Amino acid sequence: MSRTTDTTWRRRLNALTLELLNGLSLFATLAIVALGLGITFGLMGVINLAHGEFIMVGAYVAFVVHEAGWSHWVSVPLAAGVLFVLGAVIEVILIRRIYRKPELTILATFGLSIVLRQLAELVFSKDFQSVPNPVPGATEALGVLFPTYRYILVAVALGTVVVTLLGFTRSKFGLVVRAIVADRDLAESAGIRTGVTNVLAFGLGAASAGVAGALVAPLGAVEPNLGLSYLPSAFLVVIVGGFSRLWGVLVGALVVAVVQTTLIHYYDAVWALIASLVLAVVMLQMRRSSVAGATA
Amino acid sequence: MRLEARDLCAGYDAVPVLHGISLAVESGEIVAIVGRNGVGKTTLVKALMGVLPATGGQVLLDGVDVTRRPPSHRVRAGLRATYQERALFRELTVGDNLRLGGFAPSVHHQVLDKFPDSLSGRGTQRAGTLSGGEQKMLAAACAIVSAAPLILMDEPSEGLQPSNVDLLGRHIASAREHGSGVLLIEQHLALAERLADRFVVLEKGEVVEEGHAGDDHIHDRIAKRLVI
Repeated sequence: MSRTTDTTWRRRLNALTLELLNGLSLFATLAIVALGLGITFGLMGVINLAHGEFIMVGAYVAFVVHEAGWSHWVSVPLAAGVLFVLGAVIEVILIRRIYRKPELTILATFGLSIVLRQLAELVFSKDFQSVPNPVPGATEALGVLFPTYRYILVAVALGTVVVTLLGFTRSKFGLVVRAIVADRDLAESAGIRTGVTNVLAFGLGAASAGVAGALVAPLGAVEPNLGLSYLPSAFLVVIVGGFSRLWGVLVGALVVAVVQTTLIHYYDAVWALIASLVLAVVMLQMRRSSVAGATA
Repeated sequence: MRLEARDLCAGYDAVPVLHGISLAVESGEIVAIVGRNGVGKTTLVKALMGVLPATGGQVLLDGVDVTRRPPSHRVRAGLRATYQERALFRELTVGDNLRLGGFAPSVHHQVLDKFPDSLSGRGTQRAGTLSGGEQKMLAAACAIVSAAPLILMDEPSEGLQPSNVDLLGRHIASAREHGSGVLLIEQHLALAERLADRFVVLEKGEVVEEGHAGDDHIHDRIAKRLVI
């Protein structure tokens, strides 16, 4: 009898541990996927609908690195570099002309997302490509087997997120970016080179999307539409976490991960998605009320 | 250092405000710009700083044409400005504003203690939660302590209590003694008259009167212009 009870508890504990690890993995993935959007949308006010495509390009960098026979880990900094340059170029030729014009930003970045997907199709075709898991196998922790690569993904993703957030919130560069967002004219009058700063900030936002792309590439198929599946999650995280503080990315990712993991466990993925969207709507409404209250 | 406007024109969209302003200010002097509301005083500061693009004429710094150069270039060349409406980054803390002003944390107290209603110990307070007068004091203190060769101050006394207006005047005079030039936009005529070496009166975006502090009846001439 006691042996049966013991086994049942152990089974429950293992199931709970597995859910916690799945939740942790989802939290880290959401955080790294939303980090770039937190910078470009949350901090700079650019509604970047091409953020998913930046992730897609990062995933293709991982694919190219694999095809070249290099280690997958080369692709993480390489994707960051490639996307930094791509983001910087896009800021110079497109984004800087449409700051503070949300309608134009939506149209322009939507167009950009189509262009990037078409370019990916031209270069790599529509076919699904795969990047093999660089660390196959599972590691046992607390009596549960969990994919080793997921542990590494959690460490690299959260490490990247925390370092980036510290850089943006503690450094003079981050302060300068926040000053530009607060008042561009005053920032210029304070001697800040707003053009250069915006290029760097947008480039860093794109670079973090590149890191996200390289990290998620081994988790599924690499194809031109890969970014479309990540874009809603990224917006969800930024909306739930709040626009004004970059640390909100971590809060948003945590809340969304807990809600989704719990609902997927007890119900299904559809209810998890519905709950996440309701949460986003409620958060938007609360933010609007608090802004209205603050300005009243 | 010498800042010069030559036939400077500027405005907002299709509305011209400045119609060919010519004036100059050099390090070590205070030039007061006076005029009634809406004559283009604030627009002049914005155009001289480059925040508002010039639609005609030139802005020169030590004879070099900076008309098309961004404000950040002018700041690096030695210009500094405080504005009437947006003195500080309201969303950032007092300390962050000082960091952006180029002040290392070790010298923040020099700025914060510039006025008797000390802002010391309020470095972590959001600048937008300071009173309007405190924001003005802090912005003015930043400009003065920076010891920039040329400082443009747009209505620095607005919203300040009388004792702080006097103190502000002494700080501006002290900046001149230390070699800074000040272009002072001021509605507080008594303060302008007390400080200025030269006066420029604006009307409808044009210079209509100029004079030195020692000129005969200069104060009467200015007052007459402002009353009519």
